[in-house]
Amino acid sequence: MGLLRRLGYSNLRHYRGGIGDWMERGEAVERLAPPLVDVPLVPGQDTAARPRERSLDGSHRRQWATAFLDAIDSRPTSQLFLFWLAMVVLCGVAYWLAALLGYHGLVAGRVPIGFTAEGLATAIYFSFVTATSVGYGDVVPVGATRVLAIAEAVTGLLVFGAVVAKFVSRRQDTIVREIHRVTFEERLDRVQTNLHLVLSELQAIATMCDDGTVRPERVSARLESAAMVFAGELRAIHDLLYRPQRAPAEPVLEAILAALAGAFRELTELLACLPTTFVRSTTLDGSLRVMARLADEICGECVPHAYAPALTMWMDRVQEAARRIA
Amino acid sequence: MSGAPADQAAPTEIPEISAEDIRRRLEDASLTVVDVLPRESYAGGHIPGAVSLPLAEIEARARQVLPDLAAEIAVYCAKFT
Repeated sequence: MGLLRRLGYSNLRHYRGGIGDWMERGEAVERLAPPLVDVPLVPGQDTAARPRERSLDGSHRRQWATAFLDAIDSRPTSQLFLFWLAMVVLCGVAYWLAALLGYHGLVAGRVPIGFTAEGLATAIYFSFVTATSVGYGDVVPVGATRVLAIAEAVTGLLVFGAVVAKFVSRRQDTIVREIHRVTFEERLDRVQTNLHLVLSELQAIATMCDDGTVRPERVSARLESAAMVFAGELRAIHDLLYRPQRAPAEPVLEAILAALAGAFRELTELLACLPTTFVRSTTLDGSLRVMARLADEICGECVPHAYAPALTMWMDRVQEAARRIA
Repeated sequence: MSGAPADQAAPTEIPEISAEDIRRRLEDASLTVVDVLPRESYAGGHIPGAVSLPLAEIEARARQVLPDLAAEIAVYCAKFT
């Protein structure tokens, strides 16, 4: 903001809520590419938290069929199963009531079922046989009841199938979740280890520099590779702050950001210490430029999520450091 | 917007604009909406009609993206907390 003003723009307005607030309000959003489908790690966990998608004219884009499948998909297994049971029993009662209509109900062995307790039992039995699509054929619907029987068979099959599918995929979900967790933690570990490596390498180069025993070709090669690893890890951290698949624990994130700020400080000092005759190679220059660009976007106010003050303090330091090497 | 200490005094002087105002003036060519978030964020979703000018590129590209210094410009980033 201040930057734009300094560049001479006189009629600036600030939308403080930002894109986060805009989306929370359910306002129209424009996208360049189809959005990456972010699959919730825990099924059904963040479907409620995701802002409702609307097309540009504000109308709902979803088709009713998709909406129906989503509705089935988002319900817990037990609820679906209860729905299925309730449907079977209600349909059974409906078949039984149809017996009152004369020759439009169920027929068991050429004899219409009666409006009796036994008839009710037969009707519910028929309902189960229909909803599971078993269809023994000992009891058959006649007349108008056939319509209900077909509707029940179709709905029952869909819902029962969903219940079975959910039941089977439960274990798979657990495994996938576990894999995600392990991979994520390994990645965090790797970021930390590599940052420490970069830091000690930078310190080693700095010692050579302080001694005045710099041989430009040696420093150049070592600094180049350290900067490349540094830029790679910085990109990983940038990703972590902008597109977190999972939120890392705060102490872990703080340790990473502190290490990052430390490495940046070391790098700034090292760059200042190098003799004026030292020529930066294009590789080193490229890495530094990437680093400056990425780190410039790491600050308490510009990352898309709000973090604890201790964390934003480190982020601001990273940005400060980036401006110094830029 | 920008977190460097030197810039921190600046945002307070810049008048705010509400989401309602922006929505009302989406079709209005006299208001330019600028997204200063990184490109990936812009691609993933932005206010309709907003132009992308990532923070890091402001100095280099501002004059090219926003040629009129006197134009009314609404700037937003992720969230100001």
